[in-house]
Formats: sequence, C-alpha cells, structure tokens
Amino acid sequence: MKNKSNSVIGMAFFGPALVLMTVFLFIPMILTLIYSFTDYFALNPKLTHFVGLENFSTIFKDDLFTTAFLNTVKFVLIIVPLQTLGALGLALLINKVTVCKRYFKVAFFIPVVMSLAVVSNLWMQIYSPEGILNTILSNFGIDAQPFIYGADQALPSIAFMSVWQGVGYQMIIFLGGLQAINPALYEAAEMDHASGWSKFMNITLPELKPLCVFVFITVTIGAFRMIVQPMVMTGGGPSHSTYTIVYDIYETGTVNWEIGLASAMAIVFTVFVVILTIIQTILTRDKEDKHENKKAKNR
Amino acid sequence: MKKQLLFMTALSLLAGAVSLTGCSKKVNPGDVQGYDEGEQYISMWVHTIEDTPEGEAYKQSVESFNEKYDGTYFADIEFIPRNDSGGGYSDKINASVMSGDLPDVITVDGPNISAYAANGIIQPLTELSDEEKSVYLDSILEQGTVDGKLYALGAMESSVGLYYNKAILEEAGIEVPDKDHPWTFSEFLDILERLKPVTDSRNGYPLDMTFPVGEASIYYYAPFIWSNGGDLISDDGLTAEGYFNSDKNAEVFSYFRTLTENKYMSATPVEKLFESGRAAFKFDGAWEVNTIYQSYSDIDLGVAPYIVSDNWDGGRYTPTGSWAYAATTKTDNPEAATELVKWMSGTESGILLYEKTKSMPSTYAAYDQITTFEDDENYKALYEQLRDYGHPRPKTPVYPQVSTSFQQVLEDVGLSGRNVNDEMDKSVERINAKLKRYTR
Repeated sequence: MKNKSNSVIGMAFFGPALVLMTVFLFIPMILTLIYSFTDYFALNPKLTHFVGLENFSTIFKDDLFTTAFLNTVKFVLIIVPLQTLGALGLALLINKVTVCKRYFKVAFFIPVVMSLAVVSNLWMQIYSPEGILNTILSNFGIDAQPFIYGADQALPSIAFMSVWQGVGYQMIIFLGGLQAINPALYEAAEMDHASGWSKFMNITLPELKPLCVFVFITVTIGAFRMIVQPMVMTGGGPSHSTYTIVYDIYETGTVNWEIGLASAMAIVFTVFVVILTIIQTILTRDKEDKHENKKAKNR
Repeated sequence: MKKQLLFMTALSLLAGAVSLTGCSKKVNPGDVQGYDEGEQYISMWVHTIEDTPEGEAYKQSVESFNEKYDGTYFADIEFIPRNDSGGGYSDKINASVMSGDLPDVITVDGPNISAYAANGIIQPLTELSDEEKSVYLDSILEQGTVDGKLYALGAMESSVGLYYNKAILEEAGIEVPDKDHPWTFSEFLDILERLKPVTDSRNGYPLDMTFPVGEASIYYYAPFIWSNGGDLISDDGLTAEGYFNSDKNAEVFSYFRTLTENKYMSATPVEKLFESGRAAFKFDGAWEVNTIYQSYSDIDLGVAPYIVSDNWDGGRYTPTGSWAYAATTKTDNPEAATELVKWMSGTESGILLYEKTKSMPSTYAAYDQITTFEDDENYKALYEQLRDYGHPRPKTPVYPQVSTSFQQVLEDVGLSGRNVNDEMDKSVERINAKLKRYTR
C-alpha cells in the first residue's frame, strides 16, 4: 500500500512533465520521422503524398546540402579543440590567480549570458572593414581584412567568435572540477619534488578526465547545431561559405515551406550526430578503462 | 489516496486543456467590446505588434472601420509578432492552414500573394467596380492580381531610390537627367569613372552598394533585369528555364561584375559610406530619405531616376511592393472581408500609416492629400517613379527560391567573379526542384 501511494505521488509530480514532453518533444519527433517520408508542404497540407525515400535521395544529390554539411564539419573541427583547450587553459589560469579572481571569472563568463544575436551584432562591428580589428591591424601595417565578408575568412572568423562566446561556460565547469581535486594529492606530489608539468599530467588531467569527456561531447553537439551566428552575421554567405546544416533545414522548412524535405534533413542530421556521439563515448571510455588498468597495475 | 487520485486527474485535465487551447473558437456578440447583435464579425491578423507606430495605425484604422460600419460589420484585429527574417507571423499562418484556424482577413507580403493563392490560402476579393479600382496605384492592382483575379490590396506601397550626394556630383560637374530619361548602364559607367577620383579623395567609392542576403537584393536590383527586357520567371510563374538563365540576364549579372571589378563599389560592405559623405550614389528604400533628413542633415540629398539598360523600351521597371490585405478561403463572408480589405488599404488608412511610419500610401488620393509628396522634391521623385514606372516582383508560387537564387547569383558572379552561365543554370535547377509541386 505504502509503495503504491508513493508511486501515485511520484506520478503526480512526473505527470505534468511527461505530458508536456510528449506534446512538445516526443510527438514532434515522431511526426518529423513520418513527415520525412512525405512531400508535406506547409502551405497546402491536403496535398501530402507518401514519397518513400525520395527526400533522402534528393538530399544526397543536393550539392547545397553537401556544402552545408562540410561547412558544419569545418566549424566543429575548429571550435571543439579551441573551445575545450581554451576553457581548460582559462580555468587553470584563474585557479592560479590570487588577485581579482572573481573579476576574471565574471569577465570570461559574461559572453555566455549575453544573447547570441547581440554577441553576433557586436562582432559584426568588430569585424567590419573599418572596425576595431582592422584599425588595430592597420597600425601594424597589415592591409584591411574582409573577415566575415570574405569567402575564405568568414567561417574561421565566426568560429573564433563562437569560441569566445561559449568558452566561459566550459571554463566554469573545469574550474569546479579543479577545486574538487583533493589537495592532498598535490601535497604528496610536492613531497616527491614533482615538477609543475608532471603534476598537471599525472594529477590534474586524470582527475578532470570525466569532465573533459562531458565538455568534449557537449561542445561538439553545440558546434554541430551552429545557426544563429551565420544567420545574423553573414546570412550563410559569402557564396554559402558559412551555410550550415541546421541553417539549411531552417531555410527549407520555414522559408521554402518544404516541411517534408526539411524533416528528412533533420533525420539525417540527427542520425549523424548520434553516431558521432556514440563513437566519441566509446573512444573516451576506452581511454578511461586503460587509465583504470594503469592505476590498478601501479597499485 | 482518493485525494491523490483526484489531484492527478485534475492535473492531467489541466495539461490536456493546455494542449488543446488554440483550437477554433466561435465569437458571439458581446464577447468582444464593440461587437453587437446583428453585426457581421470579421477577424483579421496583422504582421506586427500593437505597440509600434505601424500597429497603432492599423488599430486606429480598424476602429474607424467599426465606427463607419456600426451595426453592419465588426472587425476584430489581432497582432501577431514577426521577426526580421519573416518568421513568427508566417509560421502562425502555416500552422493555422493545417488546423483550419485562419481568420477572415490576413496581411500577406506582396511577393507571397501568388504562393498563397496557388495553395488556396486566400481567395479572390469580391468584384470591385472600375471606379473602386481606379483609386489604387497600378502597381498595387498589379501586385494583387494572380491569373487575372484580384486577390489582395496593399496596405502601403514602397519604392527604392537611386540617391545621390549633390555636393559630390557638382564637384564632378555631373547633371542629373529627368525621370523619363534615366542614365543607361553604359552612361552610368562613364559617370562612375568620372566620379572615382572625387570619391577616392574622400576615401570612399562612387557607389555605396551591397548584395545583402535576404529580400533586399531582388527588390533593389531586379529592375536591372526588367529594364533590359529580361525576366526571372515566365508570366504564369511556372517556368524558369529560358527566363532566369537568359542571355539578357547574363548581361545584367555581368554588369554587376563590372561594377566591382572597376572598384566602383566596395567588395566588402562599408558602414554608412553614403551617409558619411564618402559615396556619390546609394540604392536604398524610401525610408532612407527620412533617415538622411533626421540624422545626416549635412548631406545634400537628391533622387536620380533608376538607371536603365541601353536597350530600355520605356516600360515599367522600378521596385515596388509591400504588405497587402487579402481574404482567406476560410471566410464565409467574402463581401464583408472585401469591405474590410478596401477600408484598410484605402486613402484614410494610407494617410494614417504615412503619418505614423512614413511609408508610401497605395492610393492616388492619399498622395494628393499629403503635401510632402508635392513640396519635397525627393519624396516627389520617389512617388513619380513608383506611379509611372513601378513593376511588381516576380509572381510565382516558388518566389522564395527565386529570391534566394537571384541573390546567390548576384553574389557569386558580382562579388566572387564565378561563371555567370554556370551559376544561372544551377539556380534554374534549384527553382525547378521547387516548381515540381505545381507542374506535375
């Protein structure tokens, strides 16, 4: 009886969340899957036909989708290492600093709190042909760079700005991790006259490893979902050099009203990210196991 | 135990109610203030929020409509927010098309009228007499007509000016022609060449010009195509091959390449180039006049006639188009809806909107009553250009793709210098993919 009443109370708390999640998450997910096999058109839903795998073959033949896919991969390849290492570096520095620690923490965290659209507009000014950055460069005798207006520089420029915007969040996570490391470990190392580098490699990094995996995966997924920055700053241009998958899904579904095709794109994208995440998890878990083994041997 | 069960049931009922709201509702007399027994109820959505000058103007127009038709009609206005890229409002329309919750009257952006008509979202207005039609600018009627039927009437009109800095043109000794004898493409190149030393000395460019992503590019620069005798799509809006990628259009896209190659314009957008007095010309919407008057009063502003191709035959070619009102297929009373559309697009509403937002009205009478369009040479020039040479944007159900494709070719050819025929053909392929839905 006691158990039963507990489960009723549990359901009462869980119920509303479940209903909302069903309505706003699960049902849309299932609908997306269903729509991806149809030619559902937002302006005329009555004419929807089942088209089998046609949408998927269209996507893989579409060179714009390929471009968007490659751009997204480029974004991920630039952002993930920069942001993960950057966050770790900043966390280590702030952990060392004794003066104005709180100031630095807040300063690096502020961009995270700011709206992406605001940050994007801010950096449009910084990157503009006569903006701060080009003024500084001209003082060093370097010609004005096009940055977000040049097909070669737009993607790295946006990637760099995204790292700047996001790095504070992961920094706080790492900082929390650093402070949770048992000081006794460092004291023991000091008694053995271990160098700073060796302390970092043998204590700090291994202790932070689970956090690294978490940060690595969340940053990767975040980078894959890139849309706001190119949308605000370049509109996906110049010449599609900053057009991303999620941007393509948005344009197809909202601007051109092709919900069926956009759903298929979303499915392809989701499957890809899930596979990648599984691979990442397996790779990183493997290392952890090895690490555990090593520890066991050393004992 | 029972209490808990009751609690749970209440919760799930509540959740159910939350998820069900938004379904169609019947409005009865007395539910809304001002809606009385015996009146015909007309619901209407507009694409802006209430607390903007534009929203206030719409609200006032509706109020005066209700006053005038007291006892016959009652119009109920609902404000739907819309973001810069057009989302929000159109998402709401799309969702309501599926759920069947459309109101009687909606606002539609000019270029979307064809798609909405082709997909049965809006229906033709009830017949307007010739006299009723004659109050509207030709461009308004032209924009609202699909397959010979009038679907929509504009809340306002719009125009793009070729603005010039009088001081710079004077310095180079250049005379501006009248509206019926615009500069041709080749004359304009000569003028830019003569202006180059002057603007170079001001650390600028002869032209303040960009090819922005979004609607602006096709809106500003499609006139170059039309004045050259080209088109972006066939008259029925269903064929792109042979239109979008015609040789005539190739000439125009290559002309834009000439402008960047000769450094008459900056390849990267420089902020406020024209406003800071470093550029001789700028293409921009009619709002620019007000911006210059208000914020850059040291610029001596003029409006030159929109430039034309050397092969121009004197036909209509300049930018037009804006938001319009249309009756949806969901309305049971097309007559009532048409009355409201006529009122909202009429002279009184147009003047009100002009006073609040400075947007250009859609009826001749409104221009006659607003003294600015007579007294101010720049506003006058914009109005006359619109009246005599206004040309609607391509009318096709796949307009969004035509618009994006146009901008892409402009960017790829004009800025990046890619092969014009390849880029045009690629665009045709993309437009064709979207057309399949209407042609099979």
